Amino acid sequence: MSEESGETSLEVSKGFIFGLRQSLTIVIGYAPVAVTFGILATQFGLTYWEAGLMSFFVYAGASQFIAIEMIHQGASVWMIGLTTLIVNIRHLLMSLSVVPYFPERTLSWSLALAHGLTDETFVLNTRALKDVVGEENRRRVMLGINLGSFASWVVFTMLGGVIGKWLPIQFSGFQFALLALFIILTTTSLTKKNAMTYLLAALLAVVFKLLIPGKIYLILSVALAAGIGAWWRQRERLRGLERQKGQTIKL
Amino acid sequence: MSIQVLETILLMTIVTYGARVLPFLLFKGNNVQGFARDFIELVPIALLAALVIPELVTPGGSIVILHNPFLWAGLLTFLFSRYVPNLFLGIIFGMTVFWGLDKLLF
Repeated sequence: MSEESGETSLEVSKGFIFGLRQSLTIVIGYAPVAVTFGILATQFGLTYWEAGLMSFFVYAGASQFIAIEMIHQGASVWMIGLTTLIVNIRHLLMSLSVVPYFPERTLSWSLALAHGLTDETFVLNTRALKDVVGEENRRRVMLGINLGSFASWVVFTMLGGVIGKWLPIQFSGFQFALLALFIILTTTSLTKKNAMTYLLAALLAVVFKLLIPGKIYLILSVALAAGIGAWWRQRERLRGLERQKGQTIKL
Repeated sequence: MSIQVLETILLMTIVTYGARVLPFLLFKGNNVQGFARDFIELVPIALLAALVIPELVTPGGSIVILHNPFLWAGLLTFLFSRYVPNLFLGIIFGMTVFWGLDKLLF
C-alpha cells in the first residue's frame, strides 16, 4: 500500500494523518461494540483468536454478531455464508458510490481501500472526500480513515475476547445480549418508509419458523419481504410518474 | 482452533469482501437503480425483523405470550432504546431486564 509514492512525503503524511484523525469519531463508536462482540464470541464458544480473526477478515459488525449466534445454534457453514451474503450485499451499493472518487485507481489501492468499507467509514469518507483535492490525496485520506477504524475494531475485539474468557458464564442475561443489540439497531433504522417491510418480514419469519425446520426461514422471509417492498416502491414510483404525466397533459 | 469456525470465517470473508471489492475492480458506468437498489436497501431492516421477532415470540418452538421473558424483555429494550439511544447501555439494560424476568416468570 505505502510503496506508491507519487508525491512528496510531506503530502503523503498530511493526507493519511488527516484521515487517521478523522477516524477517531468512528473509533469511539467501534470500541464498545467490538469489546461486546469479543465478550459474546468467547461466551458463545469461540476462542479470542477466532473472534479476532473474524474481525480482521470479515470486518462487518452486524454479520459477525449474527454468525456467532448461528454458530451457537448449530447452523451449517453454508447457511451462515448465505445469511452473511444477504446482510452484506449492501456494501456493493456503498462501494459503487465511493469508486467515482478514484477513477485512476491501481489494483493494489483498490484491494486495500475496498476492505475498509463499512457503514460508518462509508459515511465519513463520503463527507471527507468531497473536500479533498486530487485523487492521490483522496486515496490517502480514505486509507487513514479506514485503517484507524479497522485497527480499533480488531484490537478491541481481541480485548473483549480476553475479558469474556474470564467472565462467569452463569449470568443468564448473556443469551439476550444479541437480541438486545438487534432491537437497538431496529429502533435506529426503522422509518415510516420501511415499517411495512419490517412487519411483513416479522410475520413471514414467525410463520416460516413454525412450518419449516432449520434456519431457512431467515433467508426466505427476508428475500420475500424485501422483494415485495421493493416491488411496491417501484409501483408507487410508476404511479407518481403517471400522475405527473396526467397533470402536464391537462395543463 | 475449530475447522468449522475457520470455514465459516473464510466463506464470510469471500462474500463480504466480494461485495466491497467488485465495484472497485469492475465499475465504470452508472450507479445501481430501480428494483435492485430498493431491494438491497430494504434487506437490513427485513433481516432485523426476521432475526428478532421469531426469537421473541416463539422461543421454545411455539408461540408464547405471557410466560415469556424474551418477549417482555424485548419490548422493554425497544422502549428503552427509543429514549436512550446508546448501544452499550441498551445491551446492559436488555440483559439485566431479561435476567430479572427470567428469575420472576419461571
